[in-house]
Amino acid sequence: MSVYGWLSSVRLKWAIFRSDGRLTVIALAGFVGLCSGLAAVVLNRMLHYLGEFTHGLHHHWWAFILPAIGATLSALFLNTILKERAGHGVPEVVYAVSRYGGLMRFRSSFSRLVSSCLTIGSGGSAGPEAPVVMSGAALGSNIAKYFSLRERQRVTLVGCGAAGAIGAIFNAPITGLVFTVEVILGEWRAFNVIPIAIASVAGTELSRLLQGNQIAFGHQQFSIGLLDIAASFGIVLFATLVSIGLGRMLKSMHHIAKSNRLPHWLRPAVGGMAVGVIGLYLPLVLGEGYGAIQDMIQGTFASGFAIVAIAVFAKMVATALTLGWGGSGGIFAPSLMVGSLLGVAYYRMLIWIVPAWTITGEGCFALLGMAGLVSGILQAPLTAIFLVVEITGSYEVILPLIIVSTLTSTFCYYIEPGSFYLRDLIEKGQYMRPGTDAKVLSDLSVRELVETDYLAVPGNMVLKEFIEVIKHSEKYLFPVEDHLDGRYLGMIYIDRIRPYLFDNQMHPVLVTEQMMETHVPHVKPDDELADVLNIMENTRLNILPVVDNGRFVGMLSKSLLLDHYRKELIVQTGI
Amino acid sequence: MEERLLHVFRNTPLGRETLLQSIYFCKTLDISMQIYVPQATQFLMYFDHDAVQVDLDSSYLIAQDTAVSHATSLANERGLKPGFLTPKNFTASQLPDIPSNFNYMCCPRSISDLTSKIGLGYIGPKVRRIVKSSTFPVLLTSAAYKEWKSLTVFYGGSENANRALSWGLHLSRISGFPLDMFTFAEGHSEGYIDQQLDAAGLKNQVQDHVRHWFRQSGGKIEDHLNKVPHDALLVVGAFGHGLIKDFLFGSKMETIQTWMPNSILLVGPNCVFRGA
Repeated sequence: MSVYGWLSSVRLKWAIFRSDGRLTVIALAGFVGLCSGLAAVVLNRMLHYLGEFTHGLHHHWWAFILPAIGATLSALFLNTILKERAGHGVPEVVYAVSRYGGLMRFRSSFSRLVSSCLTIGSGGSAGPEAPVVMSGAALGSNIAKYFSLRERQRVTLVGCGAAGAIGAIFNAPITGLVFTVEVILGEWRAFNVIPIAIASVAGTELSRLLQGNQIAFGHQQFSIGLLDIAASFGIVLFATLVSIGLGRMLKSMHHIAKSNRLPHWLRPAVGGMAVGVIGLYLPLVLGEGYGAIQDMIQGTFASGFAIVAIAVFAKMVATALTLGWGGSGGIFAPSLMVGSLLGVAYYRMLIWIVPAWTITGEGCFALLGMAGLVSGILQAPLTAIFLVVEITGSYEVILPLIIVSTLTSTFCYYIEPGSFYLRDLIEKGQYMRPGTDAKVLSDLSVRELVETDYLAVPGNMVLKEFIEVIKHSEKYLFPVEDHLDGRYLGMIYIDRIRPYLFDNQMHPVLVTEQMMETHVPHVKPDDELADVLNIMENTRLNILPVVDNGRFVGMLSKSLLLDHYRKELIVQTGI
Repeated sequence: MEERLLHVFRNTPLGRETLLQSIYFCKTLDISMQIYVPQATQFLMYFDHDAVQVDLDSSYLIAQDTAVSHATSLANERGLKPGFLTPKNFTASQLPDIPSNFNYMCCPRSISDLTSKIGLGYIGPKVRRIVKSSTFPVLLTSAAYKEWKSLTVFYGGSENANRALSWGLHLSRISGFPLDMFTFAEGHSEGYIDQQLDAAGLKNQVQDHVRHWFRQSGGKIEDHLNKVPHDALLVVGAFGHGLIKDFLFGSKMETIQTWMPNSILLVGPNCVFRGA
């Protein structure tokens, strides 16, 4: 075969490959997974080295300023150098997916890695998971942009980035897949699941290659009996209360910081310094706390009940101070830490109340507490179950794990519908899953649905002339405009002016301005379609005039809207 | 539906000149104007394939309290009633998302850099990103307000040039201003240009509508730019070819914006022609 022939066949194969959307996404999923996995490993290593560096400084009396310095540098880097506003990371990804088809800025692919490293490495109470999720998602989005993929393919690659990152940072591929589908995308579809699974495996494998195949927390053997399962119901109660408390604490701290007049870059220093002060007395609260979690799972956590109970509260406060005042990082690792502390405290309380109870070790309750907090804060029970199973290798605890995760998630949902990540988006009406009413309506606009073939008549037109207009028109609605300046004045409904039409005496004297209805509600081209539908339902009108800058533009009908709604729904759901 | 132009207003003398250009553009073409008065130095524009974060020069925040009244009075004096854009959605809770479903956008040559940098030959990075990503043409205004009385399309036969020509023909019809064409046949035969025009289905329109077609060859393009009327709005296709081609052969658009002080309407690679 000649070189030209070979090139032609390669080009043909590439064209066939590109034309199959699924193949393209599957091929790119692995690449995105590797990139996001690499981002996770880089952050992990950076945290490790920064942690080692600051560890030697924590015994000094002035060590309390370290988290303040870290948080300030983090804010300066994020807000001043990169000009990217702070945030937890995951809500930004969900926002991009639900509102803009997964479009994310390139700078987001590395900004949070550096800023969260500064915050967490210096002792701030936050987790690295949300930053790597954002980083991986932004990588996926920008790779999709580079290959000019369609919106649906881009959303899948954003999910691939998130899955690869979570898979790599926890060495837990199934958790990466489940987290992405449950929290980021909110839909299980074969189109999404296969590439996301590939990305999650790719990210995890890369992490194993570079860091070794080690589960995050050592495997422990637990023998689960009926008493343990019964005791797990108590964890549900406490985990629900603590999850709600932590979420509210974070939100109120955020409001306090926002109402403060301090410069943006200085605010994180306040939170960081407060965390540093707490850390002087309870070093446990500093950083992501994986070391302490390991001790608790192994049952070697030495502190007594009172200290553990105080540590639960202190870690919550430290997390709220770090993140609420503008530090960079996520809530995932603090949830694990608070949950494991809660589990240990609960176990010790049970043993203190009924010393004769033969329940399994406190490590098991630490795991249940972790699952409870993660499922309570994220309202993602499957993520919590798979996370704990994968990062501990403890399949024995699966039964109480399912009970704790599902019940805590359900109770939290009843108290506060929407996870911590999504609450703000839900409150602002910006949380829209594909195929939902809000999402379908947000993807349509009044501008594209307005029918402009309606003939407007001047306000001074006499009925006799108007009848001539009606004769040559198929419409039953006629907008009326000011004959001098073209302003929209009102609407004429043919069926409502019938008495005048058949009264010949009225024909030369009555003008359109006298027959029109002025109280008909009208909408603007930029109005949200959800609001337009509400107006239609409240007024029982099936068609509304669209008016822009006081001028009649056209009519918007419910039938056309629902016709487009159906088409858009088919596009979004792929049915 | 009435066409709309987006104008990001800066309440400074340069901002006033830019706004006056926008007002003239809107009045001439019967377009409504939406003004965005920034409350922060950053905003985001989500296009079909790109999210562009615009980091504004801090002069956009000067005299914010009088910005709306100043812009309104400038527009009203010229018989235009502007609308003011209030962002509804925010990225990361704080970054306003500015809609990208406009028909035109007006910018100075740079919106991220100090105004002292703005001059011939310089288009800021954010303006470039907007032109590359947008589905609408972007009006780059001259430094001082000047009314244009004709349009000149720079035509080189490329796909982007065809799009620019379609826009030029459309705007000329709406405004009633004459349309000229400028072609610098660098390495192309005259037949090639005609072929391209024919293939794009624009040949008849050009014959019917174009006042002068300046067909130049030899030397450099800048040797011939004096032929372009001083009071013309230039319509130019931009960023139509890739990085390598740009690097090897340069870009006509860059040469034009370096030499021509006129207002320029840039038609980017994703720009959609919506005219009749």
